[in-house]
Amino acid sequence: MILDLHSHSIKSDDGRAKVESYCQWIRKREIPIDGFVLTEHRQFDEESDYRPLEDRFGILILKGSEVETDYGHVLVYGVNEDMQRAFDFGVINLKLAEVVREVERSGGIAVPCHPGRPTVGMVAHYEERGPIEGVRVVEVYNGGSRTGEDEASLALAEKYGYCGIGGSDAHMVSQIGHCATKFERGIQSVEELVMELKEGSFEALSWR
Amino acid sequence: MALIEIDRAWIGKEFDHSEFKVKQEEMLAFARTCGETDPRFTDPAHPDFQAPPNFTSKFVSRRILPEAFPYLGARGFDAGKTVEVLGPVRPDDTLTAHSKIADIYEKTGRSGPMLFIVHRMEFSNQDDQPVSVVDWRLVRQPDPE
Repeated sequence: MILDLHSHSIKSDDGRAKVESYCQWIRKREIPIDGFVLTEHRQFDEESDYRPLEDRFGILILKGSEVETDYGHVLVYGVNEDMQRAFDFGVINLKLAEVVREVERSGGIAVPCHPGRPTVGMVAHYEERGPIEGVRVVEVYNGGSRTGEDEASLALAEKYGYCGIGGSDAHMVSQIGHCATKFERGIQSVEELVMELKEGSFEALSWR
Repeated sequence: MALIEIDRAWIGKEFDHSEFKVKQEEMLAFARTCGETDPRFTDPAHPDFQAPPNFTSKFVSRRILPEAFPYLGARGFDAGKTVEVLGPVRPDDTLTAHSKIADIYEKTGRSGPMLFIVHRMEFSNQDDQPVSVVDWRLVRQPDPE
């Protein structure tokens, strides 16, 4: 099962793609993914129901979030009410240690994304302030990375023994599926995604 | 705690209004610049001739930010405009645009913290019919320490 674990729709302030348009593009261009996760910036989109699109296109559509911390941006999977009470998704200088701890406590998983990116990736912050306890997975392939950024992410993952995922970080239709994650087992829900990221077997993929 | 402190009471208050006369030659020039080929936008003889959907994005209000709006740093950039089309714009229309701050929010990027200010212009025509809403995102970044 292959999922793009990092994408944005028009629900994000800088997203330019409708979710339906992603589905149409995946089918029309035969993008080799089985689904994607919408990780809208600094929020969790509770209101949207994408089940009709899932049924129409046969594509799994899950929802997470991308929050902003003192160590850079972080993908959050398994968002629930408990987690949303624990910290404000809209604040841009959350403490990564707190996010990792609270997400884990409330049953989800926090995955620092594009760690090799300046300012908003954790590599530079690790060099300055040291590692954060509790991180186990990071995004090693990101569709928006510039030269050298994914390499820095991969080196970080290897150094600290982190597992790696891939995500397109798509903001426009044509970017969906440029990077993704291949899971050994099937996934049908966010709960299963979280379980696989914590205990399952997966590998990051890039078609860039 | 916010990285750049700003009073959110600025949001929603109208701070400017401007009037614009729509000229046919400007509509045609705009359509050509955008590469439009649809005769609705390029042929004045077309029965439904009108301005391209993003035409109102060319208009700028007299004030970009409200009077007494706080200084947010010398660095910044234009993050672009989005246009919501509500009705057609025709030659010789007189458009009135009301400006307000629609949103203020922070985010972080490669270059550091950024404050986004959304300047919204709501356009209506001489018949008080709404024709479009243009959201202009302006980015300000704090001065380096």
